[in-house]
Amino acid sequence: MTSEPGQPASGAGAGRPVVVTDVAVVTALGDTLAATWQALLGGQTGIRPLARFPTDRYAARVAACVDRLPVPVGGGSRLWPLLERLLAGLGPLPADTRLFAATTKGAIDALENWRLGRPFDPADLEPGRVLDWLRSRLGLCDDGLNVNAACASSTVAVSLAAAEIAAGRAEVAVVCAADLVSEFVFSGFSALQALSPVPCRPFDRARAGLSLGEGAAALVLMGAGRARHDGRPPIATVAGWGVADDATHVTAPARDGCGLIQATQLALARAGLGPADIAAISAHGTGTVYNDLMELTAFRRVFGGVVPPMHSVKGALGHTLGAAGAIETALGLVALREQTAPPTVGLREPEAGAEGLVSSRPQRFSGRYLLTSNSGFGGINAAVVLGPPPGPTVEAR
Amino acid sequence: MGWVTAAGAARGRQARGFAMPVGPLPKLTRQMVFDEPDARFGRLDAFSRLGLVAAALALQDAGLAGPVVRRPFGVVASTVRGCAATDVAYLETLVPAPGAMPSPNLFAYTLPNCFLGEVALRFGLTGPAYVLNEQGPRVAALRLALSALDSGDVQVMLAGVCDVPAPSPWGDAAGVLPGAVFVVLDRRDSADPAPWGEIGVGEGGAVRYGGSVVTGVPGLVEACLAGGPRPPTAVSA
Repeated sequence: MTSEPGQPASGAGAGRPVVVTDVAVVTALGDTLAATWQALLGGQTGIRPLARFPTDRYAARVAACVDRLPVPVGGGSRLWPLLERLLAGLGPLPADTRLFAATTKGAIDALENWRLGRPFDPADLEPGRVLDWLRSRLGLCDDGLNVNAACASSTVAVSLAAAEIAAGRAEVAVVCAADLVSEFVFSGFSALQALSPVPCRPFDRARAGLSLGEGAAALVLMGAGRARHDGRPPIATVAGWGVADDATHVTAPARDGCGLIQATQLALARAGLGPADIAAISAHGTGTVYNDLMELTAFRRVFGGVVPPMHSVKGALGHTLGAAGAIETALGLVALREQTAPPTVGLREPEAGAEGLVSSRPQRFSGRYLLTSNSGFGGINAAVVLGPPPGPTVEAR
Repeated sequence: MGWVTAAGAARGRQARGFAMPVGPLPKLTRQMVFDEPDARFGRLDAFSRLGLVAAALALQDAGLAGPVVRRPFGVVASTVRGCAATDVAYLETLVPAPGAMPSPNLFAYTLPNCFLGEVALRFGLTGPAYVLNEQGPRVAALRLALSALDSGDVQVMLAGVCDVPAPSPWGDAAGVLPGAVFVVLDRRDSADPAPWGEIGVGEGGAVRYGGSVVTGVPGLVEACLAGGPRPPTAVSA
């Protein structure tokens, strides 16, 4: 399949079909995808007063923390019990599974403990520790890599994993994403004046910034033929993906949404779809003035006058940084299956131009494809199109 | 190709050789890569400045650092400790008076991919830009850059490594030398200047250049310099 420079090979023939065969999620709303979804659908929020460290000097006092996440004996990082809780919900993996981790700050609490003279495990500071831990826990042979693309890390990881499978360079991949609520990150966003003093309100006229959250997600991707051979029923297809940079600013999104537009168009082209094929959008929707405005601008440009229903889960789960993309992809799978966009928790009065697009209530939709996207520092944008599981015409392995 | 190592900073076509020894890195100044004043350069942390200078030298070597035009070029960088030194520096602004004076400027660079944003905005790179933390042989950046070129999403990819000396509490990771080395991979037939040679992924996923397996970006640079530039071919390094 040939393609124009700067445009992906599109649609059928752009590679082997890629399917999702397993998924697990841990968030402030629950230890499973089902529990998180049910709570989300009910309009609950996991953003609560923060007790993990003093917040009196910061611009916010709230965050979405995973319930009862213990500090291991000896001062180990909370990252390990979070990942342990996540992987308890994942089935066994083939030994040839490729490992794509996505964490922006990993065991950052270990670094805090070191600096503050508190007990810590020196091994937690080793950069390869996350990969070692995951490889050992999952019984994998692959060395793995951690993708660091700020708040788009796990969406980029899903894109890379899907690309490897589509091109025949891998048959199975797992994307494991996680990030913690830490004073390191909390203080930084406070210093950038990016934190909302109250639980964040994505796409709301009165939105005042983001709320941080922690969580983890794991997605198992396979070639459709391998999934059939291994007897793993596909949950959905990863139909398209795209990654692009704004090339405009390092910490603020491009006001014209150029990078998100490009990433979305690449994802649609790769899926062989037009804008009208997208039934719903899981937006990044952080609740900052500029991000949410950028997304509305970008999606209006891509979808013309017919932007499909949009939602953001960050008013319920907080901004889970590197894990956001994978968590939101997992919830997108459920949304697609249920043909229901979850409520945008925190929304009261939509931003001008978002009326009718986002809602504080669940939105029914009808269609086969859902777009999920994330954007981050460095100007990075990533978009993934999820679709129905493949039909019976998939080639036998 | 472009690099900053303890042996100095250079572009491939102007270099007499390549070395990546143990030792302190040279002081990096804006004038090494940018003619015009650059207010942001002086505020960059050491990790970002290192990666930006090496990437800029590589683009200059490839004749692609001219007037900024937005183009579908991407960049992938591999790092072992990433911005750990910046993390420690940021913590120092946080700890003395808890929560009183955390530095927003430093915090912005506690994500290791941010220096790629600096490269992207200065040179108009609109393709994918992300960092990899990896173990073992560090060829993933090269491999994924080649994959991106194969996808048709981009015309050119920079691939590189970037590591600053590790601060306390870390020791220097075994086998990780301080420095940044970037290569420009260009799929266009009209590549000018003459490319160094052809690179691709062979049997078993091994990255190959000139018939030999590539074990990392520094090794690729050494192989390119040993062979010298070649007549244009379909894919160049």
